[in-house]
Amino acid sequence: MTYAYLFKYIIIGDTGVGKSCLLLQFTDKRFQPVHDLTIGVEFGARMVNIDGKQIKLQIWDTAGQESFRSITRSYYRGAAGALLVYDITRRETFNHLTSWLEDARQHSSSNMVIMLIGNKSDLESRRDVKREEGEAFAREHGLIFMETSAKTACNVEEAFINTAKEIYRKIQQGLFDVHNEANGIKIGPQQCISTSVGPSASQRNSRDVGSNSGCC
Amino acid sequence: MFGRSRSWVGGGHGKSSRNIHSLDHLKYLYHVLTKNTTVTEQNRNLLVETIRSITEILIWGDQNDSSVFDFFLEKNMFVFFLNILRQKSGRYVCVQLLQTLNILFENISHETSLYYLLSNNYVNSIIVHKFDFSDEEIMAYYISFLKTLSLKLNNHTVHFFYNEHTNDFALYTEAIKFFNHPESMVRIAVRTITLNVYKVDNQAMLHYIRDKTAVPYFSNLVWFIGSHVIELDNCVQTDEEHRNRGKLSDLVAEHLDHLHYLNDILIINCEFLNDVLTDHLLNRLFLPLYVYSLENQDKGGERPKISLPVSLYLLSQVFLIIHHAPLVNSLAEVILNGDLSEMYAKTEQDVQRSCAKPSIRCFIKPTETLERSLEMNKHKGKRRVQKRPNYKNVGEEEDEEKGPAEDAQEDAEKAKGTEGGSKGIKTSGESEEIEMVIMERSKLPELAASTSVQEQNTTDEEKSAAATGLESVQWNRPFLDMVYHALDSPDDDYHALFVLCLLYAMSHNKGMDPEKLERIQLPVPSAVEKTTYNHLLTERLIRIMNNAAQPDGKIRLATLELSCLLLKQQVVTSTGCIIKDVHLACLEGAREESVHLVRHFYKGEEIFLDMFEDEFRSMTMKPMNVEYLMMDASILLPPTGTPLTGIDFVKRLPCGDVEKTRRAIRVFFMLRSLSLQLRGEPETQLPLTREEDLIKADDVLDLNNSDLIACTVITKDGGMVQRFLAVDIYQMSLVEPDVSRLGWGVVKFAGLLQDMQVTGVEDDSRALNITIHKPASSPHSKPFPILQATFLFPDHIRCIIAKQRLAKGRIQARRMKMQRIAALLDLPIQPATEVLGFGLGSSSSTQHLPFRFYDQCRRGSSDPTVQRSVFASVDKVPGFAVAQCINQHSSPSLSSPSPSASGSPSGSGSTSHCDSGGTSSSSTPSAAQSPSDDPMTAEEPQPNLPDQLVIVNETEADTRPSKSLARSGDVETVNLSPSLIPTQQPTISLLCEDTADTLSVESLTLVPPVDPHSLRTLTGIPPTHTVDTVTLGEEAALPEPVGPSER
Repeated sequence: MTYAYLFKYIIIGDTGVGKSCLLLQFTDKRFQPVHDLTIGVEFGARMVNIDGKQIKLQIWDTAGQESFRSITRSYYRGAAGALLVYDITRRETFNHLTSWLEDARQHSSSNMVIMLIGNKSDLESRRDVKREEGEAFAREHGLIFMETSAKTACNVEEAFINTAKEIYRKIQQGLFDVHNEANGIKIGPQQCISTSVGPSASQRNSRDVGSNSGCC
Repeated sequence: MFGRSRSWVGGGHGKSSRNIHSLDHLKYLYHVLTKNTTVTEQNRNLLVETIRSITEILIWGDQNDSSVFDFFLEKNMFVFFLNILRQKSGRYVCVQLLQTLNILFENISHETSLYYLLSNNYVNSIIVHKFDFSDEEIMAYYISFLKTLSLKLNNHTVHFFYNEHTNDFALYTEAIKFFNHPESMVRIAVRTITLNVYKVDNQAMLHYIRDKTAVPYFSNLVWFIGSHVIELDNCVQTDEEHRNRGKLSDLVAEHLDHLHYLNDILIINCEFLNDVLTDHLLNRLFLPLYVYSLENQDKGGERPKISLPVSLYLLSQVFLIIHHAPLVNSLAEVILNGDLSEMYAKTEQDVQRSCAKPSIRCFIKPTETLERSLEMNKHKGKRRVQKRPNYKNVGEEEDEEKGPAEDAQEDAEKAKGTEGGSKGIKTSGESEEIEMVIMERSKLPELAASTSVQEQNTTDEEKSAAATGLESVQWNRPFLDMVYHALDSPDDDYHALFVLCLLYAMSHNKGMDPEKLERIQLPVPSAVEKTTYNHLLTERLIRIMNNAAQPDGKIRLATLELSCLLLKQQVVTSTGCIIKDVHLACLEGAREESVHLVRHFYKGEEIFLDMFEDEFRSMTMKPMNVEYLMMDASILLPPTGTPLTGIDFVKRLPCGDVEKTRRAIRVFFMLRSLSLQLRGEPETQLPLTREEDLIKADDVLDLNNSDLIACTVITKDGGMVQRFLAVDIYQMSLVEPDVSRLGWGVVKFAGLLQDMQVTGVEDDSRALNITIHKPASSPHSKPFPILQATFLFPDHIRCIIAKQRLAKGRIQARRMKMQRIAALLDLPIQPATEVLGFGLGSSSSTQHLPFRFYDQCRRGSSDPTVQRSVFASVDKVPGFAVAQCINQHSSPSLSSPSPSASGSPSGSGSTSHCDSGGTSSSSTPSAAQSPSDDPMTAEEPQPNLPDQLVIVNETEADTRPSKSLARSGDVETVNLSPSLIPTQQPTISLLCEDTADTLSVESLTLVPPVDPHSLRTLTGIPPTHTVDTVTLGEEAALPEPVGPSER
């Protein structure tokens, strides 16, 4: 499979905020979230198209590894983008954002793009953190912000793709050294014809993008 | 396929979850698998989808119906998976299968379901399947699969992976083969897997790990780390013009990753694994490569070595991160007491003895690759002893135990040898103890106890005698020699910073035996009783401070801050400071120098005040974190001055006047704080503005006699509220009337005048745009507007008044602060500026009493010095005219509320320092007023307002007058403090001269010139207008407008 760039992402946030579900929702649409099943995954890859360029996103969930300092540290450093997730129905997950962010800033490269995500936007009735609060936090700390729902797939595409766009923009501006793989960005192998399809059929994805947008 | 699972909701897959998630559907899928045992182009999509659906059913079954597992097991459905995998069906199917397995194992939550899946060893067959690892996607999914499995490991599940009889542990051995994979995410996953394995407390498995895999894995790992270190050193050596910084920072981060990983293994605290690891780290890496490089660089011939700064830097990292007692103590022993020049000879002996003694202290490449070593180990019998020339034989426990112990003995011998006879019996006793500590850790508490008994028996004199004896000996120790030499370097602080970091790291290491450090008189921070300290080190630290305070000092801020930390650690004890007078005097000298340095820049830069406050903020909010400092690769390159490198300001020299100013301010702050701390005095002058002194939203203020301007505040989002604008000495606030008390107001917003911007609105003469920014709290956040609104006033006159008040208030607020800085720097106090009635001299006039706080307890003494003058009635008398008037009637005789004005700065410690402005105020006797008087103070003027008095505090009403009388005597004497009584000067000169340094010309010129006649007219405005401004019958006391002629 050919790509112009490969971006490595990590997903961080408290346990139970739906990190792995977001990831699965993004990388594999075949696991329909409407089923009364909570399914997640810790690793996933998917191709997206940004400005006509094929970009491969590789997403690593750090769940379950928090007890090892060396591991979280290394993950941060190897990623170009981070999705910092909290649960809009649980305030404490929002309150912990500061320490997550501190960790991220400390260990990651200064160019890492961080997207703040308020997940579970489908549970409006149980909302505990106002949208404005999330926005304010993002504004104050220079993050991109979005509310998503891994269950209804609302904004999930956008969250990952907007992060990729921002990374791509930084590459264009020359902020990222794309030849240094330690930054979480890799230049794709020499272009070659490939017929294989990724874990998630790309045609489906492109359609889903359209239907998902604007639902939140 | 989904068509079958028809749904009454209206078809379409996804909604028919009931039917998809069922045993029946699983049976159907089984049928599909049996029909398609061979993978072809045509059916591969079907197969992939079938496997995916099976996974989904299994996860559903795990949560709802375990019968699907029975069926899955009964039909051996995993075989189909394996069968598909083995058909070399291409990467698409491989990736799909791996991802599906990932999802399956991650989402299974019930142990029993997991047992079902693991029960017949198919998973191990998948683990050992030879995937095409050159494909990065397969590699990523594969290693994620192993990681997911490793997260499921526990004392029960481990048996599905580790086979005691065949000595197989595919999950672990397959994973560690990728420990040096070029892809960093893969390496991280491998480390995660190993840690998850070590965490499982299963003796048989751990024995297997140690006996069969530990030596190959750790020796390869250590070699891998060492190779990176040599590359790192090359990178430093070959650097030109800081061009290698990118690569260097990656290599440093990599080294840190490794150290953290090693530390994570060590803190799992699996004892026998730790012994092997400690042995390898010490004897194959830290000692031969890092520590031996500390010695004279010319010696040593061919053996690999690294440069001194790199070695110091890396050792600091080791001590900052790894706290495993046996490791750090052995390492420190060699560093502190070893004779570095003898080490090489020693190593050679070691090599010669290597046949007999397995622990070779040198950095060499393992003879075989990890994969091959594992292969060989596997084929050996379980109990067979391995004897290969280059690996330490760890198959037998006795050998193990001996390894570190023997090292310790050597170290102890060395220590004895170098110390010679001069130290006498105590020394040898100590080294024996340390040796034992390493041999038998369990005896540690006992030993510590005996040590302390021993110490108690020696008197202080004996101790200091021993200490002086030590000092002469210290010069014979190569490490301390090197330390002192590095600190003495006059040209730069390149080495000094590393040396200080290493000392700091060693003394803060939790695993370190304090005894070791005390022998070089480097006390640990927690040391309870200190009577002496290392004079030689202290003198050098003070010299660094002195050097830093010189105009062209080559000391970086980081070095200075670290020196301050270490000095404090040396001389500050729980009971007080033990610094000798002569050293304190030297330190005071350095502090004095730093004051001179800042004076040089005072007012040199236009934004001096902002810089001053910003530096204080960033210094207090981001105190030095040595661990973070040592994570930064940029300090490995020789110090530079240019910010173009992107190096953090504190880690380089200043460039240009602005940075020189910033640096001077920082040096001043650090030395001031150190000096205060060593003298045991509290800081009363800094920060210039403290949160707790400020008016905050929801404060309830007594606004009787205050000048208030009614306005409509229109925020950016279109919100519109009616407020009264009040201008305090440092703040502007927006209040609304308090419903419960007439004349009182509730603060809805308060912001610092100094951070405010006021501009006129082009087409509306009654409106102003006002923005107040909150200074950035961290380097990542931007200055954040806390207020951004348009203020609409009843008429253009009131608008002009408001604008003037705000603009001048801003100038005045800034000037007050500048004066306080001047006082801090012992500069002659600038005459107080009497702009707009803000002058300090006016404080005594009763009738100008401003806010009184209902909520007194938080605000403490409410600082009437400032506030009293604030609301001089500009509504009636705009402009500078008021200032003049205030001069006139600021007579001390009227000063019933002034006790609090001049009140005890150190007593209440809250507000008075804000405006009193002089260092002298810290020494002003606080006897005049105790903090408990504060509530009274604010209410003192109440006799003038009897009705309010009753409402606010009935009980105190009768005591009040007598109190204020009693205090008036003190008041006047305190008032005489020079810092509080400003020299009076013509107002005009101040207005003209000083506006430039704070207000932009533009904002000033936007204020229309005030025509004295129109102002007089304004004073005569009928009461209908003055309703807006709460003046409550104080007009009589208000100053008369003064025309410009009087100026």
